[in-house]
Amino acid sequence: MTGAVPPRSWASRLFEPRRLGRQAPATRVLVYAGLLFWTFVVLFPFYWLLVTSLKLPIHVADGPNYLPFVDFTPSPHAWHYIFVEIGRDTFRPYLNSVIIAGASTALAVVVGSMAAYALARIDYRPKLGTIGLFVVALAAVVVAVIAFGVPWQLAAVAGIAVFVFLARALAGRFRRSVGNGDILFWIISQRILPPVVAAIPIYVMFQQLGLLDTHLALILTYMTVNLPIVVWLMYDFFASIPTDLEESAQIDGASRYRIFFDVVLPLAKPGLAATSLLVLVLAWNEYLLALFLSTVDAQTMPLLVSAQNATRGPQWWYMSVLIVIMILPVTAVAVALQKFIARGLLIGAVKG
Amino acid sequence: MRIRLDRLSKSFGAVQVLHELSMTVEPGEFLVLLGPSGCGKTTALRMIAGLETASGGRIFIGERDVTDVLPKYRDVAMVFQSNALYPHKTVAQNIAYPLVLRKTPAAERDRAVREVARQVQLDALLDRYPRQLSGGQRQRVALARAMVRRPAAFLMDEPLSNLDAKLRVHMRSELKHMQHELGVTTVYVTHDQIEAMTLAHRVAILNQGRIQQLGTPREIYNDPENLFVAGFVGSPPMNFLEGAMRNGAFAGPGFGLNTPAAAHAGAAVMGVRPEDCRTVAAGQGRIEAEIYATELTGDHTLVTCRIGEQFAVVKMDKNYEQAIGTPVGIDFDVDHAFFFDAASQGRIRMPTTPAPQSA
Ligand SMILES: Nc1ncnc2c1ncn2[C@@H]1O[C@H](COP(=O)(O)OP(=O)(O)O)[C@@H](O)[C@H]1O
Ligand SMILES: [Mg+2]
Repeated sequence: MTGAVPPRSWASRLFEPRRLGRQAPATRVLVYAGLLFWTFVVLFPFYWLLVTSLKLPIHVADGPNYLPFVDFTPSPHAWHYIFVEIGRDTFRPYLNSVIIAGASTALAVVVGSMAAYALARIDYRPKLGTIGLFVVALAAVVVAVIAFGVPWQLAAVAGIAVFVFLARALAGRFRRSVGNGDILFWIISQRILPPVVAAIPIYVMFQQLGLLDTHLALILTYMTVNLPIVVWLMYDFFASIPTDLEESAQIDGASRYRIFFDVVLPLAKPGLAATSLLVLVLAWNEYLLALFLSTVDAQTMPLLVSAQNATRGPQWWYMSVLIVIMILPVTAVAVALQKFIARGLLIGAVKG
Repeated sequence: MRIRLDRLSKSFGAVQVLHELSMTVEPGEFLVLLGPSGCGKTTALRMIAGLETASGGRIFIGERDVTDVLPKYRDVAMVFQSNALYPHKTVAQNIAYPLVLRKTPAAERDRAVREVARQVQLDALLDRYPRQLSGGQRQRVALARAMVRRPAAFLMDEPLSNLDAKLRVHMRSELKHMQHELGVTTVYVTHDQIEAMTLAHRVAILNQGRIQQLGTPREIYNDPENLFVAGFVGSPPMNFLEGAMRNGAFAGPGFGLNTPAAAHAGAAVMGVRPEDCRTVAAGQGRIEAEIYATELTGDHTLVTCRIGEQFAVVKMDKNYEQAIGTPVGIDFDVDHAFFFDAASQGRIRMPTTPAPQSA
């Protein structure tokens, strides 16, 4: 629709897209200089890594030299060490990282986007009283286990039973309820505290379960930690899909699942791609929780990198090699997903 | 198929949007729901489609009570106010989707898609995506998607809004022809009275969730039930003069005229359409007035006259010319004047008012 054009502030004009070719030469030079500078800022660390991975310790100690063959003679010694001398100890964490980051990302994206879709389309009205009841039951279980030495399995089952019974008996009495917005805020609030505050309880939990230093422990932990991010991001994507599209499909005879797979998912592809990438990178680079939960068998790449800064001081050359091979798969995934992270997929759905 | 609404009500929380809506749409009928923005037209249509639950009352399609039936089992086709095309599907895939869901064999489906695309002149665009289409083309895709199967009813929510004036006129006649050909019961929602008058077999006028009048376009125009209908239908709108009715006469500040004997006494409003009035020399009309402004609109002139503190518009010939401030008389046939009770807004029927002519 063409309405009256609202007056634009200088600030909004500043951010309007403009064609570079139409600008004055001086402006163009400035713009290109700025772009070149930023490209340099972004790419220099990569260059530093590559160059450092080819240096001998003595070259590193020499100070900031960046030109191979001019400032120093490149040597593959670090690559040789990482790939041949400790090859098996490099390969295992690498595979661990791939499995753990991949599986936790897949789970978080699948579970999280289904939760987000439900939150975007269905009105939930959980009763405050029921939530309070759950908290009380949980507290009772904890007290029973810690103070009275009740076996935790027994306490958990009893607690759930009591909660379900009371919730069903009292549900009609509760009046005040919360809505989807509150649920969403609660979910994202799980990320307000850094996950590491829960590291020790998580450690104890997996210790009790006998799952320390396993893939499963890290996959579950990363999935849980990343779920709020997926829900939060995907909620916005699903909410931006006009409900008219789904209702139209509904009238034409599509079931809920049919609508989700035929209409919603194809339109949420850019969101799914971007979210998966973000979550993958977070899981791939995670260090602190991995430090708690893995020692040898489930050790991930960030731990291996930091292990190069052990008793003999930082081994920059080994670290550089490890980081270079760590960057590669994520970059490949980013490039592969790039084409999905296109904008404007919804153009043409509804009249504007 | 016949659609019957029986005292249908809808509330969103504490706000009641529809109040006991009752009407019957006959098989094959083109019924237009006409009303100002926000009066509940879309809500009523969505309830027939099953997208909103009824707060009260029943909905019947054919003989079947569908009040609690899911949309997919109601067998209706709907054109949304916002087209609602699937942006990731081509035009052909969009149109075919209802048939895909019905597991129609591919060959039959292709034939149906091509046939309906031809009807709405989209055959050349079947491989495009909605984003590559103009507003009018998108609207036609939405229509084609509804037409591709033979539903029990078409539900259309302002399908022609957002088209430019010329295309709208064209699509209006296409739509009317198509509905006539298919003979499918249609409920059509619009706020545009011209659309309603030209398309409808019957018009239901809705205001604030209540049906004000249900009748043929002619009945609505010639015999409005109340002040709202009288003022809503007609362009330029009907003139209203406030006054009081007493002993067979209607008088207001600055004018007075005899009316056929009516039992009514008290505050009243007289309505008379601009095209039923003419200006005459001062002293010779029913009401004395003074010219306030004249506007040439092309094929006629709209003359705004001042009567005391009130105004009335008279539709005159395109060659009409008078200086502003000239005293004139306004003349009209009393049979063409409508009287309404100022308090209830209802029509005051005159004994001699001719029975509404049927269409
Ligand atoms: N989902 C809803 N929740 C609350 N109010 C609504 C909802 N849908 C419509 N309404 C209200 O109901 C009234 C009628 O809306 P609608 O049927 O869309 O009107 P129309 O189509 O005639 O313009 C409006 O006042 C609108 O604000
Ligand atoms: Mg509407």
